[in-house]
Amino acid sequence: MEATIEKQIKNAGDLVHTAEESLLEIEDLTITIDSVKKDLVKQIDLSIKAGEMLGLVGESGSGKSLTATALLGLLPSSLQITGGTIRLGNHQITSLSEKEMRQVRGKEIAYVSQNYQSFFTPFIKIGKQFVEVIQSHSPTKKSEAKKIVRYWLNKVNLPADRVFNSYPFQLSGGQLQRAAIACAILLRPRLIIADEPTTALDVLTGEKILDLLRGLQKELNCAILLITHDLKHVMNRSDEIAIMYGGQILERGRTCDVYQNPAHPYTRLLFQSRLQLSKEVTKELRTIYGEPGLIAEKGCPFARRCPYVFEACNEIPQIKTVSDAHWVACHAAN
Amino acid sequence: MLEINSITKTYDTNPVLKDITLSLNQGESLGIIGESGSGKSTLARLILGLDSIDEGEIIFQGIRVQHKRNSLKKVRRHVQIVFQDPASSLNPKLPVWKSVVEPLENYPDTIPLFLKEVRNNKELMAGMLFNKVGLSQELLERYPHQLSGGQKQRVAIARGISLQPALLICDEPTSSLDVSVQAQVLNLLKELKRDLNMSYIFISHDLAAVQFMCDQIAVLKNGTLLDMFRTEELFSEIRHDYTKKLVGLALKDIL
Repeated sequence: MEATIEKQIKNAGDLVHTAEESLLEIEDLTITIDSVKKDLVKQIDLSIKAGEMLGLVGESGSGKSLTATALLGLLPSSLQITGGTIRLGNHQITSLSEKEMRQVRGKEIAYVSQNYQSFFTPFIKIGKQFVEVIQSHSPTKKSEAKKIVRYWLNKVNLPADRVFNSYPFQLSGGQLQRAAIACAILLRPRLIIADEPTTALDVLTGEKILDLLRGLQKELNCAILLITHDLKHVMNRSDEIAIMYGGQILERGRTCDVYQNPAHPYTRLLFQSRLQLSKEVTKELRTIYGEPGLIAEKGCPFARRCPYVFEACNEIPQIKTVSDAHWVACHAAN
Repeated sequence: MLEINSITKTYDTNPVLKDITLSLNQGESLGIIGESGSGKSTLARLILGLDSIDEGEIIFQGIRVQHKRNSLKKVRRHVQIVFQDPASSLNPKLPVWKSVVEPLENYPDTIPLFLKEVRNNKELMAGMLFNKVGLSQELLERYPHQLSGGQKQRVAIARGISLQPALLICDEPTSSLDVSVQAQVLNLLKELKRDLNMSYIFISHDLAAVQFMCDQIAVLKNGTLLDMFRTEELFSEIRHDYTKKLVGLALKDIL
């Protein structure tokens, strides 16, 4: 059984790995609140290659989770995609019907949320819920489904037999999040969206979860969109990084390029205001003026908190190329 | 000021704290670091007298902390707490200024130095406290749901310092906040400690935060105090293996 699954994974990996082309391509995506005609996400571009991880970083209200919701086709009816396209492999997600979308969701895109407590139904044993997931996507014998479940539970380093027969409340937070990941990858999706997967966990457990995701990504050759407000998590693991503020992408590029040469004032301030363990303790942390919700209505969304603001910032900045695969949207950057 | 003498606490048959001994001087700050389930929050609950102690004792300014109403009233005048989740620690049905002055209503005889001139006017007191934590006066009449996470946490801190306590316990005060706001809140706490000669116990799972915030660090694991030292000695060779592991992990974060 294990051998067959391993083989299937390998074949699937070969299929996807044909071109350098991106697996997920978001172009010019705009999401609007219908009633007041306000854009919550404004003309964003993102792409992820198969087998890579993109870290989407932003504060509360920056629109990062909204972007993920749009990818899953789960926007509430009060919000609408008013511009741009989302392509995943051969699917144009923006033009799929709900029925077609249901085939994509779960099977091609998996979602791991920060709220692992509500991932499983509380009074049904975990194994049974896994089997249900498998059977709802393809007709499978129960005995076979069970074997598949055990295989994936082992993959995420859980004691398969015990977890299979446990209720959700009998597992710790880290174990539950692992089980949720196992459930997400069990249909071998091509894209995993991990929305703040570690916020509710302590540091060591969180690190382990991220390492696990990273390992699975390499092994299954799937793409991961890691959404987080914590720069630390992204810096060490993601291949690319995108910094979002007020519904716009301010800077995007290969992680090492952005780290070594942050071009947007917001990115630079974020780097400076994070805590770091060091031999020489700083007396005071560098802070960013204002609150996360302070978004300029017009032009650059960060203008009202930016120390380098000048007249031109009333206009939306053009996207400039910093280096090969590194872009910034800022008037002050050169 | 605070002395914790070999306390033990068991929930059902589960020991959560085993023989913990530590002490803290006025004006000093102590960081408690550990994973979830290490007993750090239980320790905070015991210092506040929210739970009874099984063995050992906690002495605060010469008073023994007991899980009894009379002794608690005396202790709580000087010990306050700021919780992790500001959303659930503020009454959603009160405008925030009322939450802020509530401790002052409970202790009508207490006159904090920085509120001396306005002690008889609740709204002015709330205004002064807002000033102290860098919140605008416009926010006084708002309800918690109308404030951002960082603003709510500052309201909680304003309430925490309203009695000018000798000790403020901060249980993961910034883990639900954004990076930029976290910096503001941590700077604020440090400033208040200096201005009010206040002590705080800073509970966190983030070693970098504890290093930045505290004079001393205590490392807890599975209810046992593994290591206790002055922050300057964090990188010393004689640290416990577990502490070294935490240091290693935290250093890995720097690319």
